[in-house]
Amino acid sequence: MSVVPFTLLIAAASTAVIAPIALALAAWSWRAGVRGAVIDTIAMLPLVLPPTAVGFMLLSVLPRPIVFTPAAVVIACGVMSFPLMFTAFRVALETTDRRYFDLARTLGATPARAFARVTLPLAWRGLLSALLLGYCRAIGEFGATILVAGNIPGRTQTLALAIYERVQSGRDHEAALLVSYVMLIALSLAGLSTMLIHRQRKRMAA
Amino acid sequence: MIEIDVHLPLAHFTLQAHCTLTAKVTALAGPSGSGKTSLVESIAGLRPATGRIAIDGVTISDLPPERRAVGYVPQDVALFPHLDVRGNVRFGGHDEGRFETLVTMLELEPLLRRATVSLSGGERQRVALARALMTQPRLLLLDEPLASIDQPLRERILLFLRRVRDTGVPMLYVTHQSFEALALATDCLVLRNGAIAAHGPVAEVLGEFSGEVENLFEVDDPRHDPERGITRVTTSGGLELVLPYDAVAGATFPLVVRISGEEIVVFGARPESISSRNVIAAEVIDVREREGVVDLTASATQPIRIRITRAAADDLGIRAGSRVWLALRSRSFRVVG
Repeated sequence: MSVVPFTLLIAAASTAVIAPIALALAAWSWRAGVRGAVIDTIAMLPLVLPPTAVGFMLLSVLPRPIVFTPAAVVIACGVMSFPLMFTAFRVALETTDRRYFDLARTLGATPARAFARVTLPLAWRGLLSALLLGYCRAIGEFGATILVAGNIPGRTQTLALAIYERVQSGRDHEAALLVSYVMLIALSLAGLSTMLIHRQRKRMAA
Repeated sequence: MIEIDVHLPLAHFTLQAHCTLTAKVTALAGPSGSGKTSLVESIAGLRPATGRIAIDGVTISDLPPERRAVGYVPQDVALFPHLDVRGNVRFGGHDEGRFETLVTMLELEPLLRRATVSLSGGERQRVALARALMTQPRLLLLDEPLASIDQPLRERILLFLRRVRDTGVPMLYVTHQSFEALALATDCLVLRNGAIAAHGPVAEVLGEFSGEVENLFEVDDPRHDPERGITRVTTSGGLELVLPYDAVAGATFPLVVRISGEEIVVFGARPESISSRNVIAAEVIDVREREGVVDLTASATQPIRIRITRAAADDLGIRAGSRVWLALRSRSFRVVG
């Protein structure tokens, strides 16, 4: 598979794996209020640590057969995109008025049902925007991936790694072409994400 | 019967409410920031308070909000913006019969497919009432149901609130000295700085705390006399009053009317030539002076509150025990609802 579809697929897989976990934790933190700050802080770690440090830690916990496989790329991308997705989920949930959730409970809904039937539908634009941001981050992931998955063309090489490899071997024109692809993808997805955030804010202000 | 024993620390004071509500409808009054909404929210389970709340002997304070069977309509009603009117009402339950009954009672049929953003204040209030009632609550909490409703529409909302009251669900509602809203309640609970300052029948409690001197009379047994333009009525306290026929001819009795204590004229002796049809003999039972005015409570068959100037009080030599005659112009009465 060529590097562009491979990258998009890997990013999609990592988003699919990490999104439910990020959403569940964001929901828990949103409900917990101040007590959720612990989760907020831990969730930030992959963002503030050097990616190579995260890669090293993953390398030491992942089973041997997974290392240097596409699965390892998925895991590295997932872990590294987690903080951005988690934070964006949190923000999206915060934009919904918590009172709707509370009110749903006075109407007989359990916390899970109130969240699913009221908070999620109210926050869907922000949540989708968070998914897109996480996806973009997964596409661009480099540091942790190269440690746990290497840079094997046709097996674990994503766009970010391919650019690095082309520049290292002096194939700047190829690198420029890949950069233009990644620019196009990132711009369109980030643009869509921004538009969704604006709509979400507008809706909640109305 | 609602037993409330709540202890809840707030920003500027601690809400401490200990009372038992026995009336079907109780108004919760008090100045802004006195803890009214906090008390209502803690009953609904939305604010963690220590203490005990029980409905008909069943303790609900240790239950999560969804198991308390307490309906709550907040001040801004908070209809779910992603659901239409039908979706909002249905959120509270799936009982088809109950849904139809509420739609009929609150006249929601034409609104069912509408988005909530397109509704007027009064319509939103009705949808929120239906949504809360779908859960078959054992207690209905309303936070200032008339606050965002313009005057001409208030009577209409009051009509719907009365229908809700008549279904028998006990109600506790927050009001900000709204006489129209008080017309619904039999009892009134006044909160001040988080403590219960008064609790009792509306008419008694209200005058004490509203700052204004108001008299509310629930009147019934109308005897219309269109030719003379009057309607004779009897208050729940046994007073015979004369009201303008045109003001009450179309009303549904029992009716609540009010008259400001400033519009009642006091005489030291029975007035001989006076146009007022309501001249009532009474005995002054309480005299309070403040800032150039004197507030009197006079007892006829029921207490009547009057505000006169200090000079007038001095002229009449009024003190507790004085015998007075009160003139209540029939045109001074306002129909509350």
